[in-house]
Amino acid sequence: MRMMEERMTYRTASLVAYVAFFALLMVLPFFLNSFWTNRMATYLVYSICALGISMSWGYAGILSLGQGLFFGMGAYMLAMSLTLADPGNNPVPELMLLNMEPDAVRDLCCVTTGSFLWIPFRWVIVGILAGILVPCILAAVIGYVMFKRRTTGVYVSIITLAFALIGQLLIINNQPLTGGFNGLASLASLEIFGFEFDPYGPSIYYLVTLTLLAVILLARYLLSGRVGQVLKAIREDEARARYLGYDVENYKLFIFCVSAGVAGLAGMLFTLTSEFAAPSLMATSFSISMVIWAATGGRASLLGACIGALLVNFIGSLASESATFQPVWPIILGGLFVFVVLVMPNGIAGIFKDFFDRRSAPRTVEGR
Amino acid sequence: METFVIGLSIGSILFMVALGLAIIYGTMKVINLAHGEMVMIGAYTTVLATKHLGFNLYLCIPLAFLVTAAFGYVIERTVVRRLYGRLLDTLLATWGIALILQQLIRIHFGLGLFGIHIDGLGSDLQNVPVPSELQQAFQFLGANIPVYRAFLFVMALLLGAVSWWLIFKTRFGSQLRAVSVARNTASACGINDKRVNTLAFAYGSGLAGIAGVLVSGFKTVSPDMGTPYVVDAFLVVVAGGVGHLMGTLLSAGILGEVQSFVATWLNDVYGRTVLFTVVILILLFKPQGLFVTKSR
Repeated sequence: MRMMEERMTYRTASLVAYVAFFALLMVLPFFLNSFWTNRMATYLVYSICALGISMSWGYAGILSLGQGLFFGMGAYMLAMSLTLADPGNNPVPELMLLNMEPDAVRDLCCVTTGSFLWIPFRWVIVGILAGILVPCILAAVIGYVMFKRRTTGVYVSIITLAFALIGQLLIINNQPLTGGFNGLASLASLEIFGFEFDPYGPSIYYLVTLTLLAVILLARYLLSGRVGQVLKAIREDEARARYLGYDVENYKLFIFCVSAGVAGLAGMLFTLTSEFAAPSLMATSFSISMVIWAATGGRASLLGACIGALLVNFIGSLASESATFQPVWPIILGGLFVFVVLVMPNGIAGIFKDFFDRRSAPRTVEGR
Repeated sequence: METFVIGLSIGSILFMVALGLAIIYGTMKVINLAHGEMVMIGAYTTVLATKHLGFNLYLCIPLAFLVTAAFGYVIERTVVRRLYGRLLDTLLATWGIALILQQLIRIHFGLGLFGIHIDGLGSDLQNVPVPSELQQAFQFLGANIPVYRAFLFVMALLLGAVSWWLIFKTRFGSQLRAVSVARNTASACGINDKRVNTLAFAYGSGLAGIAGVLVSGFKTVSPDMGTPYVVDAFLVVVAGGVGHLMGTLLSAGILGEVQSFVATWLNDVYGRTVLFTVVILILLFKPQGLFVTKSR
């Protein structure tokens, strides 16, 4: 009975935390100028990334170091549509004019090799759908080969890392098609049903916040039930889950794809707030940063991962405002990673949980 | 032939970086992402020693070994030691260490904040003077081969031989192998497993430092130069088979050649793309690596 009560307090407290978090996010723009509204929107995008990591790493133990690949693909898909929506890029994007053969026809069909791939992106809806579907499909292919070969643990991390590096190299190398190293930067604002989302206005901010809310609800719906339990079982002991008759590969494939889709969604929103897409989004360091955000907030806690991403980035940008702290910030950040891993492996959410879990159960590291 | 030699020298650098990583990962199951920063520190040791102490490149090799081994020693004692058995956590923590080390170089170990600048540190690019005899080239089988590339190859083989001797012919080596196979049993037999691990970590870091000296001879030195090396070297280690010295050697050679030939045939980017693809395929189809150590 007593245990029951304590569980209730923890559950109630989590609920309160969720409500307070989103209430705070909803009123925040009233206190921020346009620059900070835009910054906060970007950090909330990072929160969505961290959510994706938490779903695959925290719940299923799949640590992908190629999450930047899916994020970047999402960003590029929407950026292609927004490039074509910019009047300066009509009928052919400027980057292609710079790279075409002198006598090429100035039409998307054939101005540069492969430029016909851009044609469907004239419709923004294609860009938006592709921003989720392409990362999902990519993840399905990568995941299928990996999990069917029963690749596990650190090998998954390395293979996803290598895929992200390949993606980055291919995009840099195919300049006439992708804008190369500079990426896509002359973008129109997103317009849906005549409503224009201004990157520095509250509209984008609320779009991101509501997306974050939707993703959290979706994740909770997916993970609170049977699927979440099976994934945790796989995380703890894959072989045992297999012997118990669960189709381990498909469960892993499923959560890997969902996580990639979430990253793609975040990538699209990133394009909206930051107005560019570049190969640097697929860099190893960025992918690892995402993992760190999730680890700081609490890898096995959805809300924790969100808060971790927000906090790390918010403090980081505060530090970069000051001339004294700016050079020291990377050191503090590096120290934070070490500290989180050594001292609080379950992150901020872990401390929160310990506070309510006074039943002195042995502390375990979740989602190693 | 020239392409082959270029591949051989790429492979030599890869091998020297990977060797230390192979020892650290193979025996301790620690993914050391700060390993690239050991290369970087080795390179900066060279920059500083040539600038301020008048050392030449050869003298820098033992110096850089000692400096980076000391760094490795401290890192193992303070952080890595607490993380044995938590593989993915070692990856995150050492990434944090890598960030710290890079930034320390950029801000002159904190002195920059007080307006003190040391020539050779900071975020600018640095170059190292190379002894004139290494800048020449010689003819071999009708091909023009720069001495430096041959020097890299010889050094790689030399370090490989020393490491092999250390691991298979010395008392320390047999203790190290014992700890890596069965840590608790080894410990029960009276081996100080913590000390063995610390020394192995320091030795592996020192090897990366030597690689850093040699890299600084043909590439510009900058605080973030290490990251690509650690990724490549780690791919070499897992592709070659974990804990298998010969496997690391061969896979470094193979991957260096693959990159070099594809790069000459198409371009550099495809060279690296194919390199990563090959590694992915190896990991998918031979997850134990190309050369498997038979375990009991």
